[in-house]
Amino acid sequence: MGRALLWLGPSLVLIAAVVIYPAVELVRASLGRYSITGLYQGAVGLRNYGRLLEQEALPTVVGNTVTWVVLVVGITIVISLGLAQLLNAPFPGRRLVRWALIVPWAASLIMTSKLFVWLYDYYFGLVNRALVAAGLLRGPVDWLGDDATVMGAMIAVGVFVSLPFTTYVLLAGLATIPGEVYEAARVDGASGWRAYRAVTLPLLRPALLVAAVLNIIYVFNSFPIVWTLNDRNPGMAHDTMITYMYKIAFKSALRDVGLAAALGVVNVGLILIAVLAYLKVSRWREEPV
Amino acid sequence: MMSRRLLPVLTLLCVIAAVGAACGRGDGKPATIKVVIAEYSRDHTRPFWQDLAEQYTKQTGIKVDLQVIDWNSIDQQVSTMIQNNQPPDVLNLNSFSSYAKDGLLYSADEALSSKTRDDFLEAFARGGTYKDKLYGFPILASARAFFYNRDLLERAKVEPPRTWDDLVQAARKVQALGGGVIGYALPLGPEEAQAEWSIWMWNNGGDWKSGDAWTINSDKNVQTLSFLAALANTHRVTQVNPGKTNRTDGAFQLFKDGKVGMVMGFSPLAAQLDAEGKVHYGVTQMPTNVGTPVTLGVEDYLMAFKKKGNQEAVRQFLDLYYQPEQITRWITAEGFLPVTKTGLARMSGNEKLKPYLDALPSARLAPTTDPVWDKVKLDVQQTIGLAVQPGGDPRQVLDRLQKNAAESGR
Amino acid sequence: MAGGAGLIRRAAAGGLGLLVAAALLAPYAVMLLTALKPEAELRVTPPRLLPAEWRPQNFWAVLRDPEFQSWLRVSLVVAVVSTALVIAAAVPAAYHTARHRFAGRGAFLFLVLVTQMFAPTALVVGLYREFFELGLINTYAALILVNAAFNLAFAIWILRAFFASIPREIEEAAAVDGCGRAGTLLRVVLPVALPGIVTATIFAFIAAWNEYIVALTLMTDAAMRPLTVGITTYVTAYVQHWDLLFAASVIAIVPVVVLFALIEPYLVSGLTAGSVK
Repeated sequence: MGRALLWLGPSLVLIAAVVIYPAVELVRASLGRYSITGLYQGAVGLRNYGRLLEQEALPTVVGNTVTWVVLVVGITIVISLGLAQLLNAPFPGRRLVRWALIVPWAASLIMTSKLFVWLYDYYFGLVNRALVAAGLLRGPVDWLGDDATVMGAMIAVGVFVSLPFTTYVLLAGLATIPGEVYEAARVDGASGWRAYRAVTLPLLRPALLVAAVLNIIYVFNSFPIVWTLNDRNPGMAHDTMITYMYKIAFKSALRDVGLAAALGVVNVGLILIAVLAYLKVSRWREEPV
Repeated sequence: MMSRRLLPVLTLLCVIAAVGAACGRGDGKPATIKVVIAEYSRDHTRPFWQDLAEQYTKQTGIKVDLQVIDWNSIDQQVSTMIQNNQPPDVLNLNSFSSYAKDGLLYSADEALSSKTRDDFLEAFARGGTYKDKLYGFPILASARAFFYNRDLLERAKVEPPRTWDDLVQAARKVQALGGGVIGYALPLGPEEAQAEWSIWMWNNGGDWKSGDAWTINSDKNVQTLSFLAALANTHRVTQVNPGKTNRTDGAFQLFKDGKVGMVMGFSPLAAQLDAEGKVHYGVTQMPTNVGTPVTLGVEDYLMAFKKKGNQEAVRQFLDLYYQPEQITRWITAEGFLPVTKTGLARMSGNEKLKPYLDALPSARLAPTTDPVWDKVKLDVQQTIGLAVQPGGDPRQVLDRLQKNAAESGR
Repeated sequence: MAGGAGLIRRAAAGGLGLLVAAALLAPYAVMLLTALKPEAELRVTPPRLLPAEWRPQNFWAVLRDPEFQSWLRVSLVVAVVSTALVIAAAVPAAYHTARHRFAGRGAFLFLVLVTQMFAPTALVVGLYREFFELGLINTYAALILVNAAFNLAFAIWILRAFFASIPREIEEAAAVDGCGRAGTLLRVVLPVALPGIVTATIFAFIAAWNEYIVALTLMTDAAMRPLTVGITTYVTAYVQHWDLLFAASVIAIVPVVVLFALIEPYLVSGLTAGSVK
């Protein structure tokens, strides 16, 4: 155990200093009452948590968050599996595609979101122009204003920016699979889709685990996309937990940082449940093979 | 050998340093004051305040920790500072009464010279008063005016409207020009919905409060909001989803593109239109339903936070800013309106500002002196757009706003 | 026969690859073209893709701006050093948890993961207080430490997965050759695990490069602002320079792509080269 501390030491110090301390502060804040200015006005126990459950918008926000996470992570992983497979074998122009894949990741989320706000704009946006010109739409659509399309528009951007990271993690995973394994599979008569399912996917499990779990966490807490794309919409109809938390603290009639802190803590709990659920499900699938 | 001589020297140095430090702490002057200013523009805000800070440091020897923060983040940053008991010494913000209510601020008697205090324009000084004391010192002001696209109105053969009926007529004719042209751009999205709403509300004889009671859901106001909903959904003379359009990236952009007949704007918009030179626009009074047009005046505030030993330092800083040359220089550069009598005298010759300066006497301010307003404003921003959606219910929206306002007061 | 089928497959892959690249780059091509337009052309209906008047001056204006250069410098220092720090901390931790069962291993991995679940927006108030007490506001150290810690979970988890998938035979062979534990790690395992390390490096660098909310709160001095915070000043509530904003954003992508270009060759695994033999 002492040996372990030597290897784990630097990480533990970093975590303790940068995450544990503020996390404790967050919990403390959730147990306090604050004025609209941010002034601390005393401890109130679990009252903020109780008030949180009374918030009208909470069920909608939780529902939005679940939809957001499930769809973004799910769609991203499916597409990334394909992309990683494509990029694993050499072909002319592979270099170009790998470089192109870096760009959505390299650009800051805020800038990409602002860019998409422009692209989605009803009057000035190129998406409407392109789709109408291609005959796929009869008239322009207010992608970010129409309640039916906002979530889809946001999810599209969420998937777009998550693809690079996920694909590269899966690529790294594919790279660890030695060529001999594919040879052996081919000798056994398995090829194409069957080989993929029976051989590649199970060997990709560690990489998939990392990709899925980390994506769940990041997408859950992803702030810029939802905030920027949903910026012009009143109410909380399309907010996720993290933007709702920000609104509670600074941008709504509540202006209550204590309540927002309580939501922050609950948020961690939700993510924990989501990750544990995923871990359980993915271990389950191990049996039948 | 070295250390024998070094030790007494070091001791002496330590003593000197200790005495020096004690002296510094003894006369109660802070070494630094923290000044937080909102970023009005990239080109003018920081340069001016940087310059002012340097002048101040030369005068008093006190350093200035100047932070210029953009409007989108300033609420969050200030809240973080206060949560951590690290408030600034001087803060520029668009609200003040909540801070006054929490007992965080110096009043004008404590933080301003009498010359400065007497120089404020009446209406703005009143707009910064809480419980009969001036806590929110006016820093600059703006007034809204009615902008119209000369070319579009000419093509539609209409005059700039004076009454609401005129407005509907004009908007319909402009809209009928076709080609994606919009009659009236109505921004009721979360950015500044309360500004647009205020003007409409007042021009129908309604108001936020009557005395001390909130009257958000008065019959007149319901009538007004229904009128706006009709503009959007019945007459269809607005841009798409007005409840989900903001000014800066929505209504104003469309007007700057020359696609909008009429919009409510202010001097920064005029400056941008002039710079681009694309649109022939005119500026006039608000269309009204009650005879005399009313417009919205907005003032931003400077506040001085009570901290041990900083009163004199803060007073000197504020007096430096409020010297007529300084404050006028900055307000003119940013394109806003003066808040002091001397400032008004100096800027009244400015042609560009004439329509807004003329509107100032009839400009009304939002009830910023009531701390509850800080919550009401956000509530309005977040919810009023819902009323003008297809299927929206103006009465319901206003009832909820009223209810929240009344409950927040307790 | 294999040659023919292989050719078709490669051509198909090439075509598909081209489509994928186009889809990925399309929005940023729009950003680039927008950055080349003058202010007046930014919002026109109907929207136009290409500028009517080309304005590469926007890029020069941004590059020449001393403020922009300052933001760039800060971002580079923070990103490079925090990435180095996180790799230095994560590699030993990941290696040890991959190779040894010890009491608390599961707890450690879980703790690392849980700390990642706290949103930076929620932690920012506590971070401000902590760094204020430590006197580290407006220092490189603050952002370096924060970014290193925020990226730790990813680095540890992916490196662990990588180390775990390396066959033990390689290390056993090294042990037979007389390498100690640390020596094995450095000389044998790391080269083989290079793809994982490279992935972790790219990730940590990009995350630090694009971090916003903590930088905004901890770096209040204009001279210490990184790119993400600095470029928001181009678009304020009353005056907007969208053309400069997009130009700056395009320029901000370049250092990341350069880093990627430098380390991309190492993404190819050394494992398939048959190092076991």
